Amino acid sequence: MGRNLRLENLTKEFGALTAVDHVNLEIEEGEFICFLGPSGCGKTTVLRMITGFETVSEGKVIFDGKIINDLIPQKREFGIVFQSYALFPNMTVEDNIAFGLKVRKVPKKTIAERVDQMLDLVGLRDWRNLYPAQLSGGQQQRVALVRALAPNPQVLLLDEPLSALDAKIRVRLRAEVKRLQQELKKTMIYVTHDQEEALSIADRVVVMEKGQFRQVGKPIEIYQCPTSSFVADFVGTSNFFKGYRTEDRVSTEKREFKVSQRGTLAREEVFLAVRPEKIEVFRYGDPPGGIEPSNLVPGRIDVVTFLGAAVRLVINADGEEVISDVIEREFAQRQFRQGDKIFLYFPPEAFLIYPKKEGSQ
Amino acid sequence: MNRAEALTGYSAPSTLISDRWMTGITMGFLLAVLAFFMLFPVYDICKLSFFKQGVFTLRNYAAYFTNPRIFRSLTNSLYVSIVTMVITTVLAFFFAYGLTRTTIGGKGVFYTISTFPLIAPSIIQGLALILLFGRNGLVTRYLFHTDWNIYGPTGIIAAECLYCFPNALFILYTTLSAVDTRLDEAAQSLGASSLKTFYKVTLPSAKYGIASAAALSFNLTITDFGVPVVIGGNYSVLATEIYQQVIGMQRFDLGATISVILLIPSVGAFLLNYYLTKKSYALISGQARPFLQPSRPFKRWAFTIYCWIPCAFILIVFICVFLGSFVKTWPYDFSLTLKHFDFPSLGGHAPLWTNFWASTLKGEWQSILAYKYAPIWNSLWVSILVAIGGASLTLLAGYIVEKKKPRGDQVLYTLSVLPAAIPGTVMGLGYILAFNKPYFFIYGTFWIIIINIIICNFTLGVLSSIANLKQIDKSIEEAAVSLGANPITTFTRVVFPLTKTAFFSNVAFFFMRSMTTISAVIFLISAKVKLAAIEIIFLDIDGRTASANAMCTIIIVIVVGMLVVMRLITGKAGLKGMGATT
Repeated sequence: MGRNLRLENLTKEFGALTAVDHVNLEIEEGEFICFLGPSGCGKTTVLRMITGFETVSEGKVIFDGKIINDLIPQKREFGIVFQSYALFPNMTVEDNIAFGLKVRKVPKKTIAERVDQMLDLVGLRDWRNLYPAQLSGGQQQRVALVRALAPNPQVLLLDEPLSALDAKIRVRLRAEVKRLQQELKKTMIYVTHDQEEALSIADRVVVMEKGQFRQVGKPIEIYQCPTSSFVADFVGTSNFFKGYRTEDRVSTEKREFKVSQRGTLAREEVFLAVRPEKIEVFRYGDPPGGIEPSNLVPGRIDVVTFLGAAVRLVINADGEEVISDVIEREFAQRQFRQGDKIFLYFPPEAFLIYPKKEGSQ
Repeated sequence: MNRAEALTGYSAPSTLISDRWMTGITMGFLLAVLAFFMLFPVYDICKLSFFKQGVFTLRNYAAYFTNPRIFRSLTNSLYVSIVTMVITTVLAFFFAYGLTRTTIGGKGVFYTISTFPLIAPSIIQGLALILLFGRNGLVTRYLFHTDWNIYGPTGIIAAECLYCFPNALFILYTTLSAVDTRLDEAAQSLGASSLKTFYKVTLPSAKYGIASAAALSFNLTITDFGVPVVIGGNYSVLATEIYQQVIGMQRFDLGATISVILLIPSVGAFLLNYYLTKKSYALISGQARPFLQPSRPFKRWAFTIYCWIPCAFILIVFICVFLGSFVKTWPYDFSLTLKHFDFPSLGGHAPLWTNFWASTLKGEWQSILAYKYAPIWNSLWVSILVAIGGASLTLLAGYIVEKKKPRGDQVLYTLSVLPAAIPGTVMGLGYILAFNKPYFFIYGTFWIIIINIIICNFTLGVLSSIANLKQIDKSIEEAAVSLGANPITTFTRVVFPLTKTAFFSNVAFFFMRSMTTISAVIFLISAKVKLAAIEIIFLDIDGRTASANAMCTIIIVIVVGMLVVMRLITGKAGLKGMGATT
């Protein structure tokens, strides 16, 4: 086994507030982990406890088999990339990158080599003598990234590194971070509130809410099989229905759906969640054959929003709002327009079912 | 192939001192310094005023309030302070309004001239008014041949108004330039007349700034010593009465009692100012402001003329004192001479300086340079030490309060801003009471003076350090730490370079204050330990007015010279936002 990072019952209390509540996680060497959650969920606090900038109220941070709770940040040898870049404004790009090596008293020649290497890594060789204020946001964050990497840290921690950047640059830099991670095989822990970012770059995503880990898994698992209605809601978009399940039927306020996840004979209160792209939309009057008739619902298109490859329809189904994503070609073929009457079809296997007794809804 | 090969074998230096320890030790040191050199003297004053041979008594207070002659100093102080406060605030408000809300020309000139009073001791206003309106004043004796003169409350008020003007102006300028002018535009677009907009929008939005400027003017006037001592005549105020009682009559108990009485209005005004400043900052919007719409010609002319009035007075003050030091017999014989620069006082002794010139020069020049100019040399090197020490300590204190925030940082903050509330004369008397003990070896030396000046001016240094440190992103320090830098490296390589400008402007501030301060230090000088600013007072008391002017001129030249040097070092003007607070 490599040098793993383990969080054991890690807890942080700020007075009466529990910011991080007994969380557990094992991060393997070379893994790319993303902490995802709404603002204030405690993800940055977890990161700061790992870096040593925040003290641990309870539990342990274990690295390479040793408890490092009381190790000062300088001794942890973890690199950090900050949201605000935090480049030293009084130093050139080169001096910024060399800083971590200089304080370690690395020989001058080695420093020069390493700085060159780092500049090449992000293609900023020509910019080495400029000051941070002379660079664009994207360039600054690239410098910050290799500055953190220069002393060859054991783990690289990134605290919302891209959220101060424009959308386009964000996507490009995201790919660059991913490339660097695969190339260097460095353990990276990445904090973000942007679910698209998390799903697209991480090996594993940790979804946090109210100081707790709600779900830990591969991006595809998180998206397709959210284990709680919070995750279903926070990651991606979901339509929710409240109802009661008996065997394979769920009766909501207005209708009854057939579902593929069977319950027991006893009536139980549940939440149904459906991803917008799982719902099929047909023109009114021509429902295809071989479908479950009770899952066919009439409605009217209220709003049409182009998302690029897909078209998002907001549909009024007897007073209930349903969101459905249709791929663009299908949308064009069927000639949908705002105000059209349509049929919505909810395939039984599209429903994710969550028990009623759950925190957020 | 992995392009970034592992760089192994180098790890963070092993001799890391824990950050928390460093912070704790530094904070402990600063707390000890402030407690010992600020709280302890004030405590001694209170003790002396309330206790006689270990028994609590109000006898001193009874003595004060039943002696009409001494009691008058309280009402006198309140009178001149309140009148000065009102006049200064109104004058400075419209001046600031002209600089921020109209499109008059020459704003830079107006602003620069208005800061002049800060580079000279407060007595310069008194000296100039005496030259113009004194018993042998240019205006009173020479032009109008009248016996009326300005000595007394009128003179004090006029001089204090000039002295307080730049300080009040700084606050009002900041307030008015920070309040969003779009509010004014919105009001006008809704149909309000200019006058109505001024009363309903501009004035209310600046109310905290106005009140804060007023409180500061009041505090500066009631605690000032230099002006009333030269122009007050027989009109005694609290600050001069303390000196009278202590140095004139050796009545330390009464001096302490008056000090406690003076502390009440001055601490009150300070607290009010502090509270209002916080409030006024809450009103400041960080949004970008559109350009001012051009003022109408009448408004422009009116404000241009208005702004010239205080500027003219300030210029006249400096020209008078400058001329007064070079002419034979003001106002009768205006032929030029340098004889006033051959100071008639006995002179003093300065370490290094005296010995150096005494051994290299002979005759008349020996006595002038080696002895008569010794106080100036003393002031210079004392000021350099004060500047470096004061700027460093206040930067450290600001750093700990703003960035490290250890447990108890609020105690350090409170002690750091408190000195502005304590009048210089009170602090000076406190130092005599607390430190005039045989075992306290630095009493009676320059070192106690250096410490005293640093402590008396601590507030502004800390506040400006904090304001500057606030602008540094906390992540920058964390970045340095995460890259393996220890607390000392982080401070010297990252934090200090980023605060350099603020540090040098604090150096300039402490130097200026040290060259010009009088009130506290006058208690601490002796026949051997003399300073230039204090010599002005003694020369004036001896009737050597022209030489007092000459000494004043020399101080101004030194301060201006230092500001020029600072500007060369930092590339920035060093005066903005440096109002005096004691």
